[in-house]
Amino acid sequence: MSFRQASVLPGFGLTFGFTTFFLSTMVLLPLAALVLAASSMHWSDFVHVVFSARALGSYRLSFGASFLAASINLVFGFIIAWTLVRYEFPGRKLIDALIDMPFALPTAVSGIALTTVFAQSGWIGRYLEPLGIKVAYTWLGVTLALTLISMPFTVRAVQPALLEVQRDLEDAAETLGAGRFYVFRRIILPTVLPALLTGFTLSFARAVGEYGSVIFIAGNLPMKTEITPLLIVIHLEQFDYHGAAALGLVMLVMSFTVLFAINLLQAWGRRRHLQAASS
Amino acid sequence: MSIILDQVTKHYGGVPVVNDVSLDIGDGEFFVLLGPSGSGKSTLLRAIAGLSGVDHGRIALHGRDVTHLTARKRGVGLVFQNYALFQHMTVADNIEFALRVRHMRGKLRRQRRTELLRLVALEGMDERLPAQLSGGQQQRVAVARALAHKPEVLLLDEPFGALDAKIREELRRTIREVQRELGITTVLVTHDQEEAFAMADRIGIMNLGRLLEVGAPHALYSHPATRFVATFLGAANLILARRTADGIQVCGTTIAASDRTPAANEHEVVAVVRPEEVELAPARAALTTNYLAGGVVEDIVFTGALERLRVRLDAAAHTPLLAHNGSDEDASELLQVTRTQHEQRVFPVIPGQNVAVGVRRVHVLPTPLSSFTACAPSLPLADALSREPLLTELAARMKTRITTRSEPKMGLAEVVGESADFVGTTVIASQTDCAHRSEWLLRRGARDLLVLPAGAAAPQRVLIHWTGEAARSATLAVSASVLRHVPAEAIYIGILPGQSSGSRGPYGMRDLLDARSEAQATHGLEMRTELRFGEVTEELTRRLAETPGQMLIVGVTDLARFAERFRALLDGGQWPVLIVYRGAP
Repeated sequence: MSFRQASVLPGFGLTFGFTTFFLSTMVLLPLAALVLAASSMHWSDFVHVVFSARALGSYRLSFGASFLAASINLVFGFIIAWTLVRYEFPGRKLIDALIDMPFALPTAVSGIALTTVFAQSGWIGRYLEPLGIKVAYTWLGVTLALTLISMPFTVRAVQPALLEVQRDLEDAAETLGAGRFYVFRRIILPTVLPALLTGFTLSFARAVGEYGSVIFIAGNLPMKTEITPLLIVIHLEQFDYHGAAALGLVMLVMSFTVLFAINLLQAWGRRRHLQAASS
Repeated sequence: MSIILDQVTKHYGGVPVVNDVSLDIGDGEFFVLLGPSGSGKSTLLRAIAGLSGVDHGRIALHGRDVTHLTARKRGVGLVFQNYALFQHMTVADNIEFALRVRHMRGKLRRQRRTELLRLVALEGMDERLPAQLSGGQQQRVAVARALAHKPEVLLLDEPFGALDAKIREELRRTIREVQRELGITTVLVTHDQEEAFAMADRIGIMNLGRLLEVGAPHALYSHPATRFVATFLGAANLILARRTADGIQVCGTTIAASDRTPAANEHEVVAVVRPEEVELAPARAALTTNYLAGGVVEDIVFTGALERLRVRLDAAAHTPLLAHNGSDEDASELLQVTRTQHEQRVFPVIPGQNVAVGVRRVHVLPTPLSSFTACAPSLPLADALSREPLLTELAARMKTRITTRSEPKMGLAEVVGESADFVGTTVIASQTDCAHRSEWLLRRGARDLLVLPAGAAAPQRVLIHWTGEAARSATLAVSASVLRHVPAEAIYIGILPGQSSGSRGPYGMRDLLDARSEAQATHGLEMRTELRFGEVTEELTRRLAETPGQMLIVGVTDLARFAERFRALLDGGQWPVLIVYRGAP
């Protein structure tokens, strides 16, 4: 590797140095501290905390609801992005700006707002109540909150990719005899698939780490509506730093595994593409 | 006929982008639609492909009316400027796309693919991705893909636009060969006249949404009918000349008219002189062709095979030049000349040298509108009139000039039999005694008279009417000429006296249809027709008052009681009226 490569920004050496320094102090060091704290525990204590029924229940909710939320965003985020990219209508700019609202809002505010609306006496909740659907204080509420706060990630990831899909491609497919669904499946979807996957990954990652909005709408019943981040906070409040670190480590490993898997999937997709080309 | 377009019209935001285009393209013909950007050629191609609908008119492919069919049911092949290949698919998948859609069996598909790749000389490239191919190769794949489903018509939308000169040449040849081999009817859209010449069996030239002229490349080049085609298809010097009994008179020299019998009455015409038809010599005596004028060489550009010069004609020659391709103001005084190596050796020139200019061949445009003369009682008024927006716009678009003329006695002295020399189209301002002034001018020899209200803008609609059959052909010619330069729709207004629609109806209808077919056949002018009942001036005035942005072209053969008859129409009207008078002055 050479540290002399022409570029607009000054010196590869400097920028590379900054990159490693930044990543170390902001990401790796705190993570190392986490691992260190967890590793100072006794093995049986660690297993006891990490595999307790309450912890297992929280993993299921955290990762299950996050996965569900990311999946919902995959579909509806795509539709929103499509609408914003493909159509001209009054208020388009406004809606485009609204997409980012969950970014800007303190997540606690989102949580409280959702709870107000979906509680049994809330604007929407009171109509769902007679139907036997309870949103607030159930896993449904958790999923709803996670969907809301992770939605911008999918939309913003897919939007530029959709802009790339030229109208000419669809026109070409149409003159060749393809119907709408065929064009969507064979032309549009393959083109935006990498962006969709990225959007899914980002949404999922964001949802797993979410805390603020969920605690208000979840009700936080152990085993039922308690997410892992909350369980960590509970351990902290009881001054059980080691237990918190152990749970944190589990989340870290699981999240990393999922993200790594998705990245591998994408890389595999790209490679297959190139292989098809070179063979 | 493979492709039949009948009065195809397409509007975008009220502006006609494709305006009344009718065209027949024969089986196996290579047709090129040529025009500047924004002329509507690509929109027309997309309409043929079915990718954009039409507002009016019909499209038929191989005898099948496809006006309301979607693109996927029309069975055409379309090639785009930016290739529009599916980047995530291999060459093979791209080419087989149309076959997969049609559920063709794998073996047959592969067979067809191999055949197509051979056709475009890309054998063995099956498994490449588009990104791994050069631009020229990608466009070949696009052509193969467009041909896969054996379309009846191949449409090419500026297919060479993104390629460099050498690849372009090569691909041009390939496409021409493929087209000949398959005998497929092909329409190519381009703005490059060289490309059009190189490929076309016939060329159709579009401007402002209208199809101006259609013809074989050579015929269009040597005998253009409009100034747009004359200047767009190669370089051209436009010269104001006079048609006399002996021929074409330019700068006092008479040149034998090549293509037409001399007209009975002398009038102003627009002549085309191609730069290569100009001869330069040291002195008038040394010219082998008709002497035009003396001049001074302004500048010389060496371009390899040819040398391009610009020659400033002597002021004494009365500068008959109008304009040519160059849009700069100064250029209108310079004559464009191109000379071969041989000519350069026989008579080498340097900038600043005095030369005698001769002309080998002059082509007279059949356009009836040559130049404009703003006419008012005093010169300052005439000057103001000559700066009217509609007039300056018309003159600029027609690449012609506006002169001024004062007629202090206009409309006043009733001197019978005194005839003055009115050249080109006379323009007067619209005011209260306009009808009277118009009659005065027409009686003194003005033949085309434009009555212009102050501040009038370019019309969106031109109404056409004539009050005597003798004026029909002239009115249509003038209308066609105006409409070639203004993006407006044309409507012929037929007016029958009274409310008695029953008895005269069929005849009126036939006149209407006759007028339409003559307009189309002789002048290439597509117009709609409207039939109204009542008194002529009343009906025309009412129609003009309906919506703003209209203009009237009216043909007149008889000046008896002219001012009286047309007072309502002309006096202080808010619309421009162009009077075409064809009768004894």
